Amino acid sequence: MRIPFPRISLFFVILLFVCILPVRPTHAADIKYKRSIEKYNIPDVVLINQDGKKVRLQSLLNSDIPVIVDFIYGTCTTICPVLSAGYVNLQRKLDADNQKVRLISITIDPENDSPKVMKEYLKRYRAKPGWDFLTGSRADIDTVMRAFNAYIPDKMSHYPLNMIRMPKNGNWVRLFGLMSTKEFLNEYQMATAK
Amino acid sequence: MKALIRYKFAHCFRVALRSAVLAILLPLLFSTFAHTEFIPPTDLSHAEIMRLGERMYRQGILPSGKVMETFIRGDVAVDSSAFSCSSCHLRAGLGSFEGGVVTPPTNGNKLYKPYRRPPSFGDVADRAGRFIYAKTVVERPPYTRETLATAMRFGTDPTGQVFNDVMPRYPLTDRDMSILISYLEALSSEPSPGASSKQFKFATIITDDVSQEDRQALLLPLQTFIAQKNQQMGMFNDFIKFGYSPTIDMQFAFRSASLDIWELKGPPESWPAQLSAYYNANPVFAVLGGISNSDWRPIHEFCEAQRLPCLFPITDFPVVSESDWYTYYFNKGYTQEGEAVARYLNRQETISTETPVLQIVQDSQVGKALAAGFRKVWKECERQEVTTLTLSSQQLLDQTAMDKLLTKHKPEVLILWTDAELLPNLPALIAKLPAKGMVFVSSGYLGKKTAAIAESVRERVYITYPYRLTPYVGSKVGGFDAKVPILPSSKDFGNRRITSRSIAMLQQTTLQGLNLIYDNLYRDHLLDIMSMQMDVTVLDYERFSFGPGQRYVSKGCYIIQLGPGLDPPLLPLSDWVMH
Repeated sequence: MRIPFPRISLFFVILLFVCILPVRPTHAADIKYKRSIEKYNIPDVVLINQDGKKVRLQSLLNSDIPVIVDFIYGTCTTICPVLSAGYVNLQRKLDADNQKVRLISITIDPENDSPKVMKEYLKRYRAKPGWDFLTGSRADIDTVMRAFNAYIPDKMSHYPLNMIRMPKNGNWVRLFGLMSTKEFLNEYQMATAK
Repeated sequence: MKALIRYKFAHCFRVALRSAVLAILLPLLFSTFAHTEFIPPTDLSHAEIMRLGERMYRQGILPSGKVMETFIRGDVAVDSSAFSCSSCHLRAGLGSFEGGVVTPPTNGNKLYKPYRRPPSFGDVADRAGRFIYAKTVVERPPYTRETLATAMRFGTDPTGQVFNDVMPRYPLTDRDMSILISYLEALSSEPSPGASSKQFKFATIITDDVSQEDRQALLLPLQTFIAQKNQQMGMFNDFIKFGYSPTIDMQFAFRSASLDIWELKGPPESWPAQLSAYYNANPVFAVLGGISNSDWRPIHEFCEAQRLPCLFPITDFPVVSESDWYTYYFNKGYTQEGEAVARYLNRQETISTETPVLQIVQDSQVGKALAAGFRKVWKECERQEVTTLTLSSQQLLDQTAMDKLLTKHKPEVLILWTDAELLPNLPALIAKLPAKGMVFVSSGYLGKKTAAIAESVRERVYITYPYRLTPYVGSKVGGFDAKVPILPSSKDFGNRRITSRSIAMLQQTTLQGLNLIYDNLYRDHLLDIMSMQMDVTVLDYERFSFGPGQRYVSKGCYIIQLGPGLDPPLLPLSDWVMH
């Protein structure tokens, strides 16, 4: 009588045991962003874009095209590059069709972020048309931050925030935290669904 | 039967043992095949490895010249030329703290030792209940080259803990990885000259064109600062003598300090040799302040070459550069005033491409610096070059010749980069302009006599003013608080503010960098820390703002007009910062 013995299975069980034994539980990677739906009153301010042109914020944001807003600055470390990489990848995923989305970055360092600095920043990220970087007077920038419940008294204490305007009702999806391209695209698609 | 069972048991045991041995040996075998020690390439010199590694670290460029591709947050692809290692870990590699994210050190000294990070805002929800996102690895054992390569490729530390999402993952080849690791091992590995656990050595630089009065105005705050540091050190030593034990970290807050005065004499061409002699005799950790009435460039270039921080010299002629690293300036000096006029005019609805603009520049270093600032920004605004005439002081005072010039060019905007000698002729010049013609002048160049602009033409004269205009109500730092708001007035024209600016530099900016340097005695780290400061409000300027790579901390300059009277009010026509 032959007793079957699962040699291979036993090998893999032990292999698995050997492999996982020294590994401690991981954490921190699965933190998700926070999502909420908000209504914002956009202040009637005139800001300046990367080409040095004056732009009325209300007419830029109150659009039939989905609009996404974030707050960054030109010499920022850590967070802004991640947010901007998110913009770049969204543009790539949407095939740079600037009718599908309007991306707006508003500086929180209006002292330093001149049109020249902003233009170089966009160039560095290979931004395509449809992504505008705005600066202005500190008073106007403060007004805009407050309107989005995103007032940052000092740029060194800022945080990652994206807001997507839903064209169907003008409400905003507020996204606090850092997202993957897939999550960002998913949020965009949900916000723009008819 | 028993024998059969015994046989089967023994067989099972043998199989299990064999499986276990294989299971243990195979991964080892694979790891041996896959094992690489990331030893730097032998076909490259050490200097070349450092150059290539530095380029990877600072610019995100591979040794091949291609851009390093990385991934953030799993699938967000990004070019490292936009987002390099030094963007977050900073130039010295000691890391940063910004936006609630603690970026840990990445120099060999720290990587190959156990690490426990300081507390982060990300550890707890803030008072507004915002979502926690800034989790970073709290504690880890030392890296090896192999685990470091794994960390950069896969974002896990030696124990398998996963990094914060802002850390990119770098799919580098073994060769490129070995170059980058070699660079990290050399990065901030030796303390900079001029600093030890017990002492900071500083110098200040004074050129021989500076008056005795201005010299004292600079030395007073500097020597007070040094005395305060040494007094604190004395108190700390007494504290220990009386039997108290400082905490481990407390010792890093107390160091004695010394200040050398590097006097530069003769023509600027001879300064580099004099600076080298001073430096070689007694290397210092940083240059605190300094003063010259001449171009600061020779000193700036010496400090760049020595990688020596030069913190906020009193100069109207700083080097304006977007990439130089080692000198912090209050602002761009005269260049900033010239830039302000270009920005102001660019935003005037009444100024079109057809508007005739005439720039008259006194043939002097000041005139040229003002004109250079105007020209640079005017060009950035994509405006056509304006007519510029450079005249000697004698030509400027030749009323007939000036009348002819104005008749010929018919400027609606006249920019006069001249000193105050011209002021008595100003009403006559303005009379030659069209009814709404504007005249721009520099308060820096006119100095104290700016307030003497004839009352009859004050509405036509636009003045650059690169200092604070709103009342200053003091700061919490350094015992420099004002009990009543200090209001700027026309008496401030021509005041170089040597003492007050130097106090702001020492108490509100430099001290923070020195206090936070801990035991990382690297000059680049001092500059990195200073660049991560929050904005500060100071007596002379509306705001100092910082940021990695930003070296001119006051970015503003008003355009003002004078009100009526002998002590006229200063009336702002522009914002502090214009775009």
